[in-house]
Amino acid sequence: MTIPRILSAAAVTVGLLLPVAPSFAHHSFAAEFDATKCREFTGTLTKLEWTNPHGFFYVDVKDATGNVQNWSFQTYALITLRRAGTDRQLFLDNIGKEVWVRGCVAKNGRQNYAAAGSLKFASDGVLRQMGQLQD
Amino acid sequence: MKISLRYVVACTAVLMFVCMQPAPAGAQNTQYTIKVMPPGGPAPRLADGHPDLSGHWMPNSAGQGVSGRDGVDPAARMQFDPKVTPEERPVFQPWAEAKIKSMTPLEIELSKSSVNCIPRGVPAIWLQNPYSTVIVQTPVMMAQLYEVLNNWRLIYTDGRPVPRNPEPWFHGTSTTRWDGNTLVVDSTGFDERTFIMPNGWFHSDALHVTERYTRPSMNYLIVEITVDDPKVLAKPWKSAPRRWTLGNGEVYEFYCTNNHELDELGQLKQYESQGK
Repeated sequence: MTIPRILSAAAVTVGLLLPVAPSFAHHSFAAEFDATKCREFTGTLTKLEWTNPHGFFYVDVKDATGNVQNWSFQTYALITLRRAGTDRQLFLDNIGKEVWVRGCVAKNGRQNYAAAGSLKFASDGVLRQMGQLQD
Repeated sequence: MKISLRYVVACTAVLMFVCMQPAPAGAQNTQYTIKVMPPGGPAPRLADGHPDLSGHWMPNSAGQGVSGRDGVDPAARMQFDPKVTPEERPVFQPWAEAKIKSMTPLEIELSKSSVNCIPRGVPAIWLQNPYSTVIVQTPVMMAQLYEVLNNWRLIYTDGRPVPRNPEPWFHGTSTTRWDGNTLVVDSTGFDERTFIMPNGWFHSDALHVTERYTRPSMNYLIVEITVDDPKVLAKPWKSAPRRWTLGNGEVYEFYCTNNHELDELGQLKQYESQGK
Protein backbone atom coordinates (compact mmCIF):
# COMPACT_ATOMS: atom_id res chain seq x y z
CA MET A 1 0.00 0.00 0.00
CA THR A 2 1.52 3.33 -1.05
CA ILE A 3 1.80 6.20 1.38
CA PRO A 4 -0.76 8.33 -0.52
CA ARG A 5 -3.13 5.35 -0.43
CA ILE A 6 -2.63 4.96 3.31
CA LEU A 7 -3.25 8.67 3.80
CA SER A 8 -6.37 8.46 1.66
CA ALA A 9 -7.70 5.53 3.66
CA ALA A 10 -6.90 7.31 6.91
CA ALA A 11 -8.66 10.46 5.74
CA VAL A 12 -11.78 8.53 4.76
CA THR A 13 -11.76 6.61 8.03
CA VAL A 14 -11.54 9.82 10.01
CA GLY A 15 -14.32 11.29 7.87
CA LEU A 16 -16.59 8.37 8.62
CA LEU A 17 -15.86 8.35 12.32
CA LEU A 18 -16.42 12.03 12.82
CA PRO A 19 -19.95 13.11 13.55
CA VAL A 20 -21.43 15.02 10.68
CA ALA A 21 -20.72 18.68 11.21
CA PRO A 22 -23.54 21.19 10.87
CA SER A 23 -22.06 22.64 7.73
CA PHE A 24 -22.20 21.76 4.10
CA ALA A 25 -19.32 20.16 2.35
CA HIS A 26 -19.35 21.82 -1.02
CA HIS A 27 -16.44 21.27 -3.31
CA SER A 28 -13.40 20.19 -1.42
CA PHE A 29 -10.79 22.87 -1.93
CA ALA A 30 -8.09 20.42 -0.89
CA ALA A 31 -8.99 17.97 -3.64
CA GLU A 32 -8.46 20.43 -6.45
CA PHE A 33 -6.14 23.15 -5.19
CA ASP A 34 -2.83 23.23 -3.36
CA ALA A 35 -3.05 25.05 -0.03
CA THR A 36 0.75 25.16 0.11
CA LYS A 37 0.91 27.18 -3.10
CA CYS A 38 -1.07 30.29 -2.33
CA ARG A 39 0.04 33.76 -3.35
CA GLU A 40 -1.13 37.23 -4.11
CA PHE A 41 -1.80 38.44 -7.62
CA THR A 42 -2.23 41.99 -8.87
CA GLY A 43 -3.23 42.72 -12.41
CA THR A 44 -5.94 43.83 -14.80
CA LEU A 45 -9.35 42.15 -14.89
CA THR A 46 -9.91 40.98 -18.47
CA LYS A 47 -12.91 38.65 -18.55
CA LEU A 48 -15.75 37.15 -16.52
CA GLU A 49 -17.52 33.79 -16.90
CA TRP A 50 -20.65 33.95 -14.75
CA THR A 51 -21.30 30.19 -14.73
CA ASN A 52 -22.50 27.50 -12.35
CA PRO A 53 -21.58 25.66 -10.25
CA HIS A 54 -18.70 28.17 -10.04
CA GLY A 55 -17.82 31.44 -11.66
CA PHE A 56 -14.46 32.31 -13.21
CA PHE A 57 -12.69 35.59 -13.76
CA TYR A 58 -9.50 36.30 -15.67
CA VAL A 59 -6.65 38.63 -14.78
CA ASP A 60 -3.59 39.75 -16.76
CA VAL A 61 -0.72 39.43 -14.29
CA LYS A 62 2.78 40.73 -15.00
CA ASP A 63 5.54 38.43 -13.77
CA ALA A 64 8.98 39.43 -12.45
CA THR A 65 10.43 39.59 -15.97
CA GLY A 66 7.68 41.81 -17.24
CA ASN A 67 5.83 39.13 -19.18
CA VAL A 68 2.05 39.28 -18.94
CA GLN A 69 0.23 36.02 -18.23
CA ASN A 70 -3.53 35.61 -18.16
CA TRP A 71 -4.66 33.79 -15.00
CA SER A 72 -8.12 32.34 -14.41
CA PHE A 73 -9.63 32.16 -10.93
CA GLN A 74 -12.47 30.00 -9.67
CA THR A 75 -15.05 31.55 -7.33
CA TYR A 76 -17.84 30.49 -5.02
CA ALA A 77 -21.16 29.55 -6.60
CA LEU A 78 -22.85 32.58 -8.11
CA ILE A 79 -25.73 32.45 -5.65
CA THR A 80 -23.30 32.68 -2.77
CA LEU A 81 -21.49 35.65 -4.30
CA ARG A 82 -24.72 37.46 -5.03
CA ARG A 83 -26.12 36.93 -1.53
CA ALA A 84 -22.85 38.29 -0.17
CA GLY A 85 -23.29 41.45 -2.25
CA THR A 86 -20.77 40.61 -4.98
CA ASP A 87 -22.72 40.57 -8.21
CA ARG A 88 -21.98 40.28 -11.91
CA GLN A 89 -22.33 43.99 -12.52
CA LEU A 90 -19.54 44.69 -10.04
CA PHE A 91 -17.15 42.58 -12.11
CA LEU A 92 -18.34 44.07 -15.39
CA ASP A 93 -17.75 47.57 -14.02
CA ASN A 94 -14.17 46.62 -13.19
CA ILE A 95 -13.09 44.98 -16.44
CA GLY A 96 -9.95 46.73 -17.66
CA LYS A 97 -9.20 47.93 -14.15
CA GLU A 98 -6.77 46.82 -11.46
CA VAL A 99 -7.66 43.95 -9.14
CA TRP A 100 -5.86 42.21 -6.27
CA VAL A 101 -6.47 38.51 -5.63
CA ARG A 102 -5.23 35.99 -3.09
CA GLY A 103 -5.51 32.48 -4.44
CA CYS A 104 -4.04 28.98 -4.49
CA VAL A 105 -2.98 27.17 -7.65
CA ALA A 106 -4.55 24.02 -9.07
CA LYS A 107 -3.10 20.59 -8.42
CA ASN A 108 -3.83 19.25 -11.89
CA GLY A 109 -0.91 20.96 -13.56
CA ARG A 110 -3.05 23.41 -15.48
CA GLN A 111 -1.05 26.57 -15.95
CA ASN A 112 -2.21 29.93 -14.61
CA TYR A 113 -5.27 28.55 -12.86
CA ALA A 114 -6.15 29.09 -9.19
CA ALA A 115 -8.95 29.24 -6.67
CA ALA A 116 -9.66 32.76 -5.52
CA GLY A 117 -9.95 33.15 -1.75
CA SER A 118 -10.32 36.90 -1.51
CA LEU A 119 -10.34 39.87 -3.85
CA LYS A 120 -10.12 43.66 -3.86
CA PHE A 121 -11.03 45.89 -6.75
CA ALA A 122 -8.81 48.97 -6.83
CA SER A 123 -11.91 50.97 -7.62
CA ASP A 124 -13.40 50.58 -4.13
CA GLY A 125 -10.77 48.75 -2.05
CA VAL A 126 -13.36 46.51 -0.37
CA LEU A 127 -12.06 43.06 0.64
CA ARG A 128 -14.47 40.44 -0.68
CA GLN A 129 -14.58 36.70 -0.03
CA MET A 130 -14.46 34.81 -3.31
CA GLY A 131 -14.05 31.25 -2.09
CA GLN A 132 -12.92 29.09 0.75
CA LEU A 133 -10.25 30.86 2.74
CA GLN A 134 -7.13 28.86 2.23
CA ASP A 135 -4.86 30.23 4.89
CA MET B 1 -60.81 37.54 28.04
CA LYS B 2 -61.22 34.35 26.05
CA ILE B 3 -58.01 32.61 25.06
CA SER B 4 -58.29 29.72 22.62
CA LEU B 5 -56.59 26.41 23.27
CA ARG B 6 -54.84 26.76 19.94
CA TYR B 7 -53.32 30.08 21.02
CA VAL B 8 -52.09 28.59 24.28
CA VAL B 9 -50.55 25.59 22.50
CA ALA B 10 -48.86 27.84 19.93
CA CYS B 11 -47.42 30.16 22.57
CA THR B 12 -46.21 27.23 24.66
CA ALA B 13 -44.53 25.72 21.64
CA VAL B 14 -42.74 28.96 20.83
CA LEU B 15 -41.66 29.39 24.44
CA MET B 16 -40.33 25.84 24.59
CA PHE B 17 -38.48 26.36 21.34
CA VAL B 18 -36.83 29.55 22.56
CA CYS B 19 -35.83 27.89 25.80
CA MET B 20 -34.37 24.91 23.96
CA GLN B 21 -32.12 27.08 21.79
CA PRO B 22 -28.44 26.85 22.59
CA ALA B 23 -26.94 30.06 23.87
CA PRO B 24 -25.51 31.53 20.67
CA ALA B 25 -21.74 31.72 20.79
CA GLY B 26 -20.78 35.34 21.08
CA ALA B 27 -24.37 36.44 21.43
CA GLN B 28 -23.20 39.20 23.73
CA ASN B 29 -20.71 40.38 21.16
CA THR B 30 -22.22 43.28 19.28
CA GLN B 31 -19.56 43.17 16.56
CA TYR B 32 -21.65 40.65 14.64
CA THR B 33 -23.89 42.17 12.01
CA ILE B 34 -25.53 38.84 11.14
CA LYS B 35 -27.01 37.20 14.20
CA VAL B 36 -29.21 34.27 15.21
CA MET B 37 -32.77 34.90 14.12
CA PRO B 38 -35.41 35.40 16.85
CA PRO B 39 -38.33 32.92 16.95
CA GLY B 40 -40.75 35.45 15.48
CA GLY B 41 -44.06 34.48 17.09
CA PRO B 42 -46.37 31.53 16.55
CA ALA B 43 -46.25 29.47 13.40
CA PRO B 44 -49.03 30.18 10.89
CA ARG B 45 -51.69 27.55 10.33
CA LEU B 46 -53.60 26.22 7.40
CA ALA B 47 -57.39 26.40 7.27
CA ASP B 48 -57.50 22.78 8.44
CA GLY B 49 -55.60 23.70 11.62
CA HIS B 50 -52.30 22.06 10.75
CA PRO B 51 -49.12 24.16 10.83
CA ASP B 52 -48.39 25.93 7.55
CA LEU B 53 -44.81 25.08 6.61
CA SER B 54 -44.78 27.52 3.69
CA GLY B 55 -41.86 29.91 3.46
CA HIS B 56 -38.49 30.68 1.95
CA TRP B 57 -36.09 28.68 4.08
CA MET B 58 -32.37 29.30 4.56
CA PRO B 59 -30.11 26.43 5.71
CA ASN B 60 -28.74 28.23 8.76
CA SER B 61 -29.93 30.09 11.85
CA ALA B 62 -29.57 33.58 10.35
CA GLY B 63 -32.52 33.93 7.99
CA GLN B 64 -30.18 35.14 5.25
CA GLY B 65 -27.08 34.04 3.37
CA VAL B 66 -23.98 33.58 5.53
CA SER B 67 -21.40 32.04 3.16
CA GLY B 68 -18.73 34.43 1.97
CA ARG B 69 -19.86 37.12 4.39
CA ASP B 70 -18.11 38.83 7.25
CA GLY B 71 -19.53 39.71 10.66
CA VAL B 72 -21.50 36.48 11.04
CA ASP B 73 -22.10 35.07 14.52
CA PRO B 74 -20.76 31.48 14.33
CA ALA B 75 -24.01 30.31 15.95
CA ALA B 76 -25.94 31.86 13.07
CA ARG B 77 -24.03 29.71 10.58
CA MET B 78 -25.14 26.48 12.26
CA GLN B 79 -28.18 24.32 11.66
CA PHE B 80 -27.63 22.65 15.01
CA ASP B 81 -25.17 22.84 17.84
CA PRO B 82 -23.43 19.45 18.11
CA LYS B 83 -22.78 20.11 21.79
CA VAL B 84 -26.51 20.47 22.45
CA THR B 85 -27.99 18.03 19.94
CA PRO B 86 -25.13 15.81 18.79
CA GLU B 87 -25.70 13.95 15.56
CA GLU B 88 -25.02 10.24 15.77
CA ARG B 89 -22.54 8.50 13.51
CA PRO B 90 -23.83 6.14 10.85
CA VAL B 91 -23.01 2.49 11.56
CA PHE B 92 -22.30 0.69 8.30
CA GLN B 93 -22.44 -2.93 7.30
CA PRO B 94 -18.83 -4.18 7.03
CA TRP B 95 -18.94 -4.46 3.24
CA ALA B 96 -20.32 -0.93 2.91
CA GLU B 97 -17.69 0.50 5.21
CA ALA B 98 -14.98 -1.27 3.23
CA LYS B 99 -16.38 0.09 -0.01
CA ILE B 100 -16.41 3.66 1.29
CA LYS B 101 -12.90 3.33 2.70
CA SER B 102 -11.65 2.14 -0.66
CA MET B 103 -12.66 5.41 -2.31
CA THR B 104 -9.86 7.88 -2.96
CA PRO B 105 -10.37 11.56 -2.08
CA LEU B 106 -10.68 12.28 -5.80
CA GLU B 107 -13.37 9.61 -6.21
CA ILE B 108 -15.27 11.07 -3.28
CA GLU B 109 -14.96 14.52 -4.83
CA LEU B 110 -16.33 13.26 -8.13
CA SER B 111 -19.25 11.59 -6.33
CA LYS B 112 -20.48 14.90 -4.89
CA SER B 113 -23.58 16.33 -6.46
CA SER B 114 -22.04 19.76 -5.99
CA VAL B 115 -19.36 18.65 -8.44
CA ASN B 116 -21.13 16.32 -10.86
CA CYS B 117 -24.41 18.29 -10.87
CA ILE B 118 -26.61 15.21 -10.41
CA PRO B 119 -29.66 16.12 -8.31
CA ARG B 120 -28.96 15.70 -4.62
CA GLY B 121 -32.13 13.71 -4.11
CA VAL B 122 -33.77 12.80 -0.81
CA PRO B 123 -32.52 12.95 1.91
CA ALA B 124 -29.37 14.78 0.76
CA ILE B 125 -31.40 17.79 -0.33
CA TRP B 126 -32.00 18.40 3.40
CA LEU B 127 -28.58 17.23 4.59
CA GLN B 128 -26.09 18.71 2.13
CA ASN B 129 -27.74 21.72 0.55
CA PRO B 130 -26.18 25.15 1.18
CA TYR B 131 -28.86 26.97 -0.82
CA SER B 132 -32.40 28.00 -0.03
CA THR B 133 -35.66 26.07 -0.38
CA VAL B 134 -39.15 27.44 -0.88
CA ILE B 135 -42.04 25.44 0.56
CA VAL B 136 -45.58 26.04 -0.62
CA GLN B 137 -48.10 24.05 1.40
CA THR B 138 -51.78 23.47 0.84
CA PRO B 139 -54.11 21.03 2.62
CA VAL B 140 -53.51 18.45 -0.12
CA MET B 141 -49.92 19.02 -1.19
CA MET B 142 -46.56 20.39 -0.17
CA ALA B 143 -44.36 21.74 -2.97
CA GLN B 144 -40.64 22.00 -2.26
CA LEU B 145 -38.83 24.31 -4.66
CA TYR B 146 -35.08 23.92 -4.35
CA GLU B 147 -32.89 26.75 -5.50
CA VAL B 148 -30.06 24.36 -6.30
CA LEU B 149 -30.37 23.04 -9.88
CA ASN B 150 -33.82 24.66 -10.09
CA ASN B 151 -35.12 21.39 -8.76
CA TRP B 152 -38.59 20.71 -7.32
CA ARG B 153 -40.59 18.04 -5.53
CA LEU B 154 -44.29 17.58 -4.87
CA ILE B 155 -45.38 15.68 -1.77
CA TYR B 156 -49.06 14.82 -1.74
CA THR B 157 -50.75 14.96 1.64
CA ASP B 158 -54.19 13.80 0.48
CA GLY B 159 -53.63 10.16 1.37
CA ARG B 160 -53.40 8.87 -2.16
CA PRO B 161 -51.96 5.34 -2.43
CA VAL B 162 -48.40 4.82 -3.58
CA PRO B 163 -47.37 2.12 -6.06
CA ARG B 164 -46.25 -1.18 -4.57
CA ASN B 165 -43.03 -1.00 -6.53
CA PRO B 166 -42.37 2.70 -7.23
CA GLU B 167 -40.03 3.85 -9.95
CA PRO B 168 -36.58 4.87 -8.69
CA TRP B 169 -36.75 8.65 -8.45
CA PHE B 170 -34.26 11.10 -7.03
CA HIS B 171 -36.87 12.22 -4.51
CA GLY B 172 -38.52 8.83 -4.05
CA THR B 173 -42.25 8.28 -3.70
CA SER B 174 -43.81 9.57 -0.51
CA THR B 175 -46.71 9.08 1.85
CA THR B 176 -47.50 11.49 4.66
CA ARG B 177 -49.24 11.72 8.00
CA TRP B 178 -49.51 14.27 10.78
CA ASP B 179 -48.06 13.40 14.17
CA GLY B 180 -49.49 16.26 16.21
CA ASN B 181 -47.87 19.39 14.77
CA THR B 182 -45.25 17.40 12.88
CA LEU B 183 -45.64 16.40 9.23
CA VAL B 184 -44.10 12.96 8.77
CA VAL B 185 -43.05 12.02 5.23
CA ASP B 186 -42.09 8.41 4.46
CA SER B 187 -40.38 7.75 1.14
CA THR B 188 -39.06 4.74 -0.75
CA GLY B 189 -38.00 4.02 -4.33
CA PHE B 190 -34.82 6.04 -4.86
CA ASP B 191 -32.38 6.49 -7.70
CA GLU B 192 -29.19 4.78 -6.57
CA ARG B 193 -26.83 7.39 -8.00
CA THR B 194 -27.25 9.74 -5.06
CA PHE B 195 -25.26 9.88 -1.84
CA ILE B 196 -26.64 10.50 1.65
CA MET B 197 -23.64 12.60 2.63
CA PRO B 198 -20.75 13.97 0.57
CA ASN B 199 -18.28 11.56 2.18
CA GLY B 200 -18.96 8.46 0.11
CA TRP B 201 -22.04 7.37 2.07
CA PHE B 202 -23.98 5.66 -0.69
CA HIS B 203 -27.34 3.89 -0.42
CA SER B 204 -29.08 0.78 -1.73
CA ASP B 205 -32.44 0.11 -3.38
CA ALA B 206 -33.77 -0.68 0.12
CA LEU B 207 -33.43 2.94 1.25
CA HIS B 208 -36.36 4.18 3.32
CA VAL B 209 -36.28 7.82 4.40
CA THR B 210 -38.46 9.42 7.05
CA GLU B 211 -38.59 13.21 7.18
CA ARG B 212 -40.18 14.99 10.14
CA TYR B 213 -41.07 18.64 9.55
CA THR B 214 -41.97 20.91 12.46
CA ARG B 215 -42.47 24.67 12.53
CA PRO B 216 -42.07 25.61 16.21
CA SER B 217 -42.38 29.33 15.49
CA MET B 218 -42.83 31.72 12.58
CA ASN B 219 -39.12 31.98 11.72
CA TYR B 220 -37.98 28.39 12.19
CA LEU B 221 -38.46 25.09 10.40
CA ILE B 222 -37.01 21.95 11.98
CA VAL B 223 -36.21 19.00 9.72
CA GLU B 224 -35.22 15.62 11.16
CA ILE B 225 -34.19 12.80 8.87
CA THR B 226 -34.12 9.07 9.57
CA VAL B 227 -32.26 6.87 7.09
CA ASP B 228 -33.17 3.20 7.17
CA ASP B 229 -31.12 1.19 4.69
CA PRO B 230 -30.57 -2.34 6.06
CA LYS B 231 -28.38 -3.40 3.14
CA VAL B 232 -25.89 -0.60 3.87
CA LEU B 233 -26.44 0.36 7.50
CA ALA B 234 -26.23 -1.89 10.56
CA LYS B 235 -28.97 0.20 12.14
CA PRO B 236 -31.10 3.21 11.10
CA TRP B 237 -29.42 6.60 11.34
CA LYS B 238 -31.15 9.68 12.69
CA SER B 239 -30.05 13.23 12.02
CA ALA B 240 -29.97 16.00 14.55
CA PRO B 241 -32.97 18.34 14.42
CA ARG B 242 -31.70 20.75 11.77
CA ARG B 243 -32.88 24.35 11.80
CA TRP B 244 -33.86 26.27 8.70
CA THR B 245 -34.78 29.94 9.05
CA LEU B 246 -37.20 32.17 7.21
CA GLY B 247 -35.44 34.09 4.44
CA ASN B 248 -36.22 37.34 2.74
CA GLY B 249 -37.80 35.91 -0.38
CA GLU B 250 -34.90 36.34 -2.77
CA VAL B 251 -34.55 33.12 -4.75
CA TYR B 252 -32.02 32.85 -7.55
CA GLU B 253 -31.76 30.70 -10.65
CA PHE B 254 -29.17 27.96 -10.42
CA TYR B 255 -28.92 25.68 -13.43
CA CYS B 256 -25.66 23.78 -13.27
CA THR B 257 -24.38 24.47 -16.75
CA ASN B 258 -20.91 25.06 -18.15
CA ASN B 259 -19.58 22.80 -15.43
CA HIS B 260 -15.77 23.03 -15.51
CA GLU B 261 -15.39 20.89 -12.42
CA LEU B 262 -15.48 17.51 -14.10
CA ASP B 263 -12.88 18.59 -16.66
CA GLU B 264 -10.60 19.96 -13.97
CA LEU B 265 -10.92 16.87 -11.78
CA GLY B 266 -10.57 14.60 -14.81
CA GLN B 267 -7.25 16.30 -15.55
CA LEU B 268 -6.25 15.85 -11.93
CA LYS B 269 -7.00 12.12 -12.22
CA GLN B 270 -4.70 11.87 -15.24
CA TYR B 271 -2.08 13.96 -13.46
CA GLU B 272 -2.17 11.67 -10.43
CA SER B 273 -2.10 8.51 -12.53
CA GLN B 274 1.07 9.79 -14.17
CA GLY B 275 2.61 9.87 -10.71
CA LYS B 276 3.07 13.65 -10.64
